[in-house]
Amino acid sequence: MIGTSNHHADPRRADRERRYKAPPVNSQVNPGDDMTPDYTNILGMIFSMCGLMMRLKWCAWVALYCSCISFANSKVNDDTKQILSSFMLSISAVVMSYLQNPQPMTPPWSSVFG
Amino acid sequence: MRFWFVLLLVGLVGSQVWVSAFREDDEFAEFEDFEDEEGGTASASASHDRPAEQQKAAPADAKPVTKEVEDEDEEDTIVEEEDDNEFEHFHDEEEFEGFDTERVVNVEKADEKEVPKITITKVPLHLRTNWDSFYMEMLMLAGLAVYFINFFTGKSKNQRIANAWFSTHRQLLEDNFTLVGDDGKMEVETPGLIKDSEHMYTLWCSGRLCCEGMLVELKLLKRQDMVAVIGQFLRPSMDQVQIRVDMTRDDMDSFVFCVATKKSGLRLAKEMQDLSLYCPERKTGEKFGVPNNMCLMSEMGEVSSTLLDSRVSSLLSKYQDMIEFIHFSDQYSGPKQTEDSTLVKLPEVKRVLIFCFNIPLIKNHAMQESLDQMLPLMHLVFYLMDKVKRLRLSKEGKQKADKNRSRVEEAFLKTTHAARAEAAAARREEKRRQEKERIMQEEDPEKQRKWEEKDQKRQMKKKAPKMKQLKVKAL
Repeated sequence: MIGTSNHHADPRRADRERRYKAPPVNSQVNPGDDMTPDYTNILGMIFSMCGLMMRLKWCAWVALYCSCISFANSKVNDDTKQILSSFMLSISAVVMSYLQNPQPMTPPWSSVFG
Repeated sequence: MRFWFVLLLVGLVGSQVWVSAFREDDEFAEFEDFEDEEGGTASASASHDRPAEQQKAAPADAKPVTKEVEDEDEEDTIVEEEDDNEFEHFHDEEEFEGFDTERVVNVEKADEKEVPKITITKVPLHLRTNWDSFYMEMLMLAGLAVYFINFFTGKSKNQRIANAWFSTHRQLLEDNFTLVGDDGKMEVETPGLIKDSEHMYTLWCSGRLCCEGMLVELKLLKRQDMVAVIGQFLRPSMDQVQIRVDMTRDDMDSFVFCVATKKSGLRLAKEMQDLSLYCPERKTGEKFGVPNNMCLMSEMGEVSSTLLDSRVSSLLSKYQDMIEFIHFSDQYSGPKQTEDSTLVKLPEVKRVLIFCFNIPLIKNHAMQESLDQMLPLMHLVFYLMDKVKRLRLSKEGKQKADKNRSRVEEAFLKTTHAARAEAAAARREEKRRQEKERIMQEEDPEKQRKWEEKDQKRQMKKKAPKMKQLKVKAL
């Protein structure tokens, strides 16, 4: 009975108010964190490099997709420069590969089957 | 956000324009090539024709000669056919030096001239390229377009769900907290939900008795990411609301308690530091009215029986689909640290109540209804909060809890003892090495010798006690 009466009383206490502390942004990786943006970022970087160095068009396209996924999963207060650079790298990989060789892309499986 | 999209669009359009411009250039180049090629092939064919004519003309002259040669050759071959093995030595070049070879060469030349040459004109690869052959690129661009359409629709849907959740719960939260929605800035600029990412929204509430604050995290599905949307078909999951209540020190006694669905119970017992240390055992909570699909992890039986009263257990069974886990702990330090990180002291612990609920979204139009269904769960949060505040352990319970805590601490110190000793030894060794280096750098052999002597003495000293012991034993 006491419990219920307590429950109905106003539980608000202004003197107990604490301000919100944003969780510290540290470089240390917490196990519960979502690592998708980081992984896709690295993958995108690797694929862009493959696309640029080895003239593989499909690699450049995959890199573009990777940076899109990284962008979609990124946090609001994440470093935007990183995403921008990943986009720039992958787009430049696509553009360069078509400038060098404007022929249509040969998908990786065509060399296997054809 | 818009900036990104514009940037991307510019990038894509730019690349497309580049490619197409290049292609147009190239198309002209192709025609030039083609003309060249035609000219080339024409001239080539002309040059091919000419030899042919020559050939035609030549055989007329050459025929009599070659015919004779052929005749002779035929005779030869006939002979060869007739006595294959017997006259093999006729083939021996050493036997007929400089006799037959000339003739044979002539014959071969004649043969070559008679066979018409097939010339395959090389069609350059990019003559065959038109827009149809860029189908892979089309697919890629279409995929990108679809991805971004999905990004915007998914993002707005998540936004709508979050806003609907907030508007549903706002009244209840404002009745319980003086501060609802704080962004952590000096002046509260945007009261309400804070967007952490496109699928994570947080809400901080504070100013209530028995707690320091309450952090609500809306962990929505990654609707903005098409890869995750596809993954959703393979492994369906649900939108979740995770509520963490930071209790004040005095308002929560020391205990660890968790009710969870079987699946997340297994995960929590593995991942969470406090659960794995204080109550790794997962039991069925039938005794306390916990539904069958859930398991109970509790440090002390008396806590479970007090917390899981008839009201709570009826709510548990009524909303068993929506409740993912309820985790109370006075020793909460988050998930386990990875093994490679060497800890020298115990991680800081907090007194928290964590609730995780699933949002049952049936259809788009029923969103409000399904969120209304969740209101009783928020009442449950406040009810349990007050209940935990009133809960006091019995004397035995308190003793047991203290014993458990000191046991954990002892075990921790034991595991780190070796590591700490190792670290100290490494530090000492490092210091010695540095000193030695310093001495060695000084170009004074006397000093070096002295230092070495000192070092040796030190080493001897280290070993000395052992020697003494041995002596005592020997006596």
